[in-house]
Amino acid sequence: MSAPPTHLDLLEAESIHIFREAAAQFRKPVLLYSIGKDSTVLLHLARKAFYPARPPFPLLHVDTTWKFRDMIAFRDRTARELGLELIVHVNREGLAAGINPVDYPPSTYTDVMKTQGLRQALDRHGFDAAFGGARRDEEASRAKERVFSFRAEGHRWDPRKQRPEMWRLLNGRLGGGETARVFPLSNWTEKDVWRYIAREQLEVVPLYFAALRPTIARNGSLLVLDDERMPLRSGESQAPRQVRFRTLGCWPLTAAIESQAADLPSVIDETLSASVSERQGRLIDHDEAGAMERKKQEGYF
Amino acid sequence: MPALAEVRDAAERGAPVTVLRRAPAVRCAAAGSPQPLAGSLHVLTCGSVDDGKSTLIGRLLWDAGALHTDQRQTLQRSPKTAAGTPDFSLLVDGLAAEREQGITIDIAWRYFDTPTRRLVIIDSPGHEQYTRNMATGASHADVAILLVDARTGIKVQTRRHAAILDLMGVARVILAVNKMDLIDWSEARFGAIEAEFLALAQRFGFRNAVAIPVSAVLGDNIARRSAAASWYHGPLLVEHLQQMPARQTRGDGPFRFPVQMVVRAGQDFRGLAGTVASGKTAVGGEVIDAVSGRRARVRRIVTMGRDLDSAGAGQAVVLQLDTDIDVSRGAVLGAPGQEPAVVGSFDARLVWLADEPFNPARGYLLRTATDLVPVASLDIKAHLDLAALTEGPASACGVNDIAVARFDLGRSAVAEPFARHRETGSFMLVDALTGASVAGGVVTSILGRDKRRAQEVFQLTRSLLKRGIGADLGHDAASEAELRRRADEVAILLRGAGVAVQLDDQWAPGRTDASTVWLSLLLALSFGFVSAIVLGAL
Repeated sequence: MSAPPTHLDLLEAESIHIFREAAAQFRKPVLLYSIGKDSTVLLHLARKAFYPARPPFPLLHVDTTWKFRDMIAFRDRTARELGLELIVHVNREGLAAGINPVDYPPSTYTDVMKTQGLRQALDRHGFDAAFGGARRDEEASRAKERVFSFRAEGHRWDPRKQRPEMWRLLNGRLGGGETARVFPLSNWTEKDVWRYIAREQLEVVPLYFAALRPTIARNGSLLVLDDERMPLRSGESQAPRQVRFRTLGCWPLTAAIESQAADLPSVIDETLSASVSERQGRLIDHDEAGAMERKKQEGYF
Repeated sequence: MPALAEVRDAAERGAPVTVLRRAPAVRCAAAGSPQPLAGSLHVLTCGSVDDGKSTLIGRLLWDAGALHTDQRQTLQRSPKTAAGTPDFSLLVDGLAAEREQGITIDIAWRYFDTPTRRLVIIDSPGHEQYTRNMATGASHADVAILLVDARTGIKVQTRRHAAILDLMGVARVILAVNKMDLIDWSEARFGAIEAEFLALAQRFGFRNAVAIPVSAVLGDNIARRSAAASWYHGPLLVEHLQQMPARQTRGDGPFRFPVQMVVRAGQDFRGLAGTVASGKTAVGGEVIDAVSGRRARVRRIVTMGRDLDSAGAGQAVVLQLDTDIDVSRGAVLGAPGQEPAVVGSFDARLVWLADEPFNPARGYLLRTATDLVPVASLDIKAHLDLAALTEGPASACGVNDIAVARFDLGRSAVAEPFARHRETGSFMLVDALTGASVAGGVVTSILGRDKRRAQEVFQLTRSLLKRGIGADLGHDAASEAELRRRADEVAILLRGAGVAVQLDDQWAPGRTDASTVWLSLLLALSFGFVSAIVLGAL
């Protein structure tokens, strides 16, 4: 390479380095594949890290049974085309108990179907490390997350047990009962993810591009109806709108944005000039936290 | 740099510098993708909350156009400062909240783009007791902003910070003399602080040291030239950061390639995966494994997109060699004649990071670029007094101490002076039992291969281990790696029982030589001896 490296080149090399450090140090890693844009980049980097060999770990998708149909189709096609082992785990107990995002509060639903589901899957297969696509720029609380993040027995996150990371050295030696989460995209931003998708010409789930979709407005958010399982409330009516998604999740809990960006260049344009942060309201969170801190300093308690 | 003029003009009109945001959206006609940024600059900010650090970072984010509109609007609706400006510190986390969560080793990472490059702000808490946080942050930084309050000037803490920057190899330092508005932009006062800083910088040999008078609250001399300080003709803070060379990769240094892992594909392909730490190599170029001295030529440089003709510092590649010299993780490839130093002992400076102090009876492992080496003995020789900038004799070491130490390794490994070889001269110290990273540091001088006599140090060779503790293992690469791992663990256990242990060079990554019968006998006798010690201890 004669041209000086761009910041994307540096990020790519760093992520590949992280993948290899983890694969070399952990006994049985797995890649948490959640089908979205970050997972797409994560998987692409995993393939690059071990080429010409295949990534030496399977993909794991914790399926809540409420993902968009387009996501599931994309997931299955991706694993098939790349010849990678895909483990799909559903929390059967949660499903049997009828936990769903329509009748239960999002926190309960998410805890049972996602968090507990993930723990079940990791324990069942004995994975000692899991790659995830989390980025430090996503929200304030992530700004301090490590690249190798350790969990004590029972998957508990103990802030005191997190390890300082210096230089490019990643210490993957596990203490008794510990497992690790590994975040190769730690230093990427949302913009970088889209820039990289464009540069590497990666395919993403079509839901990221604007199209006419059946929507309802609820609590100030636009929801796209993906099947018949969510009854409309009185006064709600379904209407087609030109929408796309910035992030993907369970369809009753994922708000769409109105947009005309129907292809990659226009999505990138929209992202680069976005006037609203990926998680709107995070400044307000900051503000409240800061206010509370000041109150405490003033002897509020 | 025309973009800078834009920054200044816009800033002088009093508007946030949103023009910056549009620049990266220029698209490459061919690829339909946005223009990439030319590298990244990692900026460490150090100083205490009282110095206005959060305000400075918030102001930088604001002036560099790194904020979304909703964030700007929320900030403008929030309570203002006494000066009537937005409270920029609200953009940055409160440290007290962190302390409540019990997170004590914490640096926060923030990212934003200027028209030409990525700026990564590494925010480290600045109080005295956070030496470890600052050292951790400094290990990732290209440049540091030291923040002082113009009313108090250089403090003990500032000297401390300068010493840590020096230790961690950060040679570009900006002193931001903040709150200049509170001393009426006194040129004389700034001049005195600047002189003191430059003397400090000279003492540490910083390559690039600049003092800038600023007011973070008002934004003066951040992105906009202060009207109140007509006497100041130096660079603005944002301007100066823009002009800093982007992240340095050692393209000019000697070739160093720490091997991360072996990649096998099919029957025929065996490649060495790693990131070039410094220098470059090319197809046909000769490489040498530092420990074994074995040589080979590079047949292919493999990446997923395409094979490369050459690979330079910072590039993550897979090297396929023309002959199988049987190296694995932990090896460091170099160029013949410039190969990396292989040592048994070295002197170092380290920062103790763990709450648990150094314990000579505990097993430690040295984590180098990609190797993990049992530490035969670690002697703390002195502490660095950061306030007086002197060294005082010491043998203990606890959290936040910066110590001078001698390492004796359980087997030979690559280690080089940090000043010339950043990647092969930095390390972390790992607690063998808990896996915790207890210290981080840099190699100051190397002492060559260890030639201690066998009767002083228990020599742990491979053949007997293979008979007993490794009897279940075969002869393939995976078994070899497992045997090595067990050897390291045995060495750690023996070390914990008070026996100085050394694994001979046969244990270096990839070596598989057979050993002699008398060594086995010696080992058998020694094992009996050691078992007695262990049992006695129990």
